Amino acid sequence: MAKALQIDPRDNVAVVLSDVQAEEEVLVNTESGAVSLKSLSNITFGHKIALKDFEANEAIIKYGEEIGKANAAIQAGEWIHLHNVYCERGRDEK
Amino acid sequence: MKTFMGYKRPQGLPGVRNLVAIIPSVFCANTVARRISEQVAGTVVLNHPVGCSQVGLDLELTAKALKGVGRHPNYYGVVVVGLGCERFRAKELYDSIASTGKRVEMLVIQEEGDTLKSIEKGVRFAQAMVEEAAKQPKEEFPISELCLGLKCGGTDATSGIAANPTLGWATDQIVAAGGRGIFTEVTELIGAEHILARRAVTPEVAQDILTCIGTMEAKLRTGTSHSELQNRSALISPGNEDGGVTTVSEKALGGIHKAGTSPITGVLAYGEPVGKPGLYVLDCPGHDGEAVTGLAASGCQIVCFTTGRGTPTGFPGMPVIKLTGNSSTFNKMHFNIDFNAGAVVEGASLAEVGTELLEKIVQVANGEPTKAEILKGDELFCITRSYGG
Repeated sequence: MAKALQIDPRDNVAVVLSDVQAEEEVLVNTESGAVSLKSLSNITFGHKIALKDFEANEAIIKYGEEIGKANAAIQAGEWIHLHNVYCERGRDEK
Repeated sequence: MKTFMGYKRPQGLPGVRNLVAIIPSVFCANTVARRISEQVAGTVVLNHPVGCSQVGLDLELTAKALKGVGRHPNYYGVVVVGLGCERFRAKELYDSIASTGKRVEMLVIQEEGDTLKSIEKGVRFAQAMVEEAAKQPKEEFPISELCLGLKCGGTDATSGIAANPTLGWATDQIVAAGGRGIFTEVTELIGAEHILARRAVTPEVAQDILTCIGTMEAKLRTGTSHSELQNRSALISPGNEDGGVTTVSEKALGGIHKAGTSPITGVLAYGEPVGKPGLYVLDCPGHDGEAVTGLAASGCQIVCFTTGRGTPTGFPGMPVIKLTGNSSTFNKMHFNIDFNAGAVVEGASLAEVGTELLEKIVQVANGEPTKAEILKGDELFCITRSYGG
């Protein structure tokens, strides 16, 4: 089974540790044990998978801190990357 | 406490190498400097493209970088090579190095007469210094005498999971032992300044951190706000994005793990020598070469450089230990990369892999060459510049 890692217990995303296919079961290692989750997307090694359902503008937490916000609703198991995240910092702010 | 065998210097921290550096004060002296180094084993050359036609802060940054690397503890002595008419005078560099008690000699091409005469004089200076350096015995020092530079480049998702936390663990041990660590890449800290400020030892240091990162962000914004520059404005590279890094805050958070969890003692200006023991932020952009040169100029004897995608670079006379958390990068580039922290991805503890890394750092301090030293990598010597401001 594909594996993923929740880096900090506060994180609502995990990093996949191998390439993951849509519909594949992913075993997420967390501090409190492993949790199984069905992937909804093809996700490349090192990219992020949603651990919960997000509403638009909800904070995405990795390393225990906010790294950006969802730009639309995101379902648990979806790939999280440039297409569904925005960040106020380091981008054009107009 | 762990110890290493190094070289005592007239002042400051000990060296982990005992080389003779040939340093041109201006790029016009590069060929003479390079040929001196080519003729004398035990030397390194620090060629660069600056030293003239510069004014103000830009010229001062060049002066600080060259003086800083000239003082570097890994150099037994320095031969300064000037042209004669340059803006940054060879004599100023010579005097700065001599004030630390280090062996230094100087020659000026326009005074010697020509290239060949300059090379001859420089070769004789360098040879005499190498012979002296060879007589200096190694001595034992505790790891509290180490100043470790911290850098990452070619980041991918394993950097934040494995390589940076492993390096952070090792850095914590060195700082807890009474040693020093310096991290920089201020352009890469944007988005994590509030988290770093919380770790400052005093409110003044917290303000220094916010000012340092805020100033860098403002500077970048003036350079990227023009409409024609929109496609040049991303602070994370396409390689970072391919590797799974989505936002600048995510990159910053992954990056700062390499500095561990110690309180932050202070912010160092570019070229400023490191102070009392502790963990420091150096004010320098994230460019690999500019940052490593800044770390060298502040007195780091060794730089640990984490990479996900893999990079072969090195610095003349200062070990740059490459470590990756990506086992396939390590396997592909094991002639360039010194340490694999990939076991952390598989579930090994940070203490376990971090202990191995600390052991590697001590071995390198003892004289074990890094891959970049073996392959004579020297591209990380790059002096930062500033036009205006």
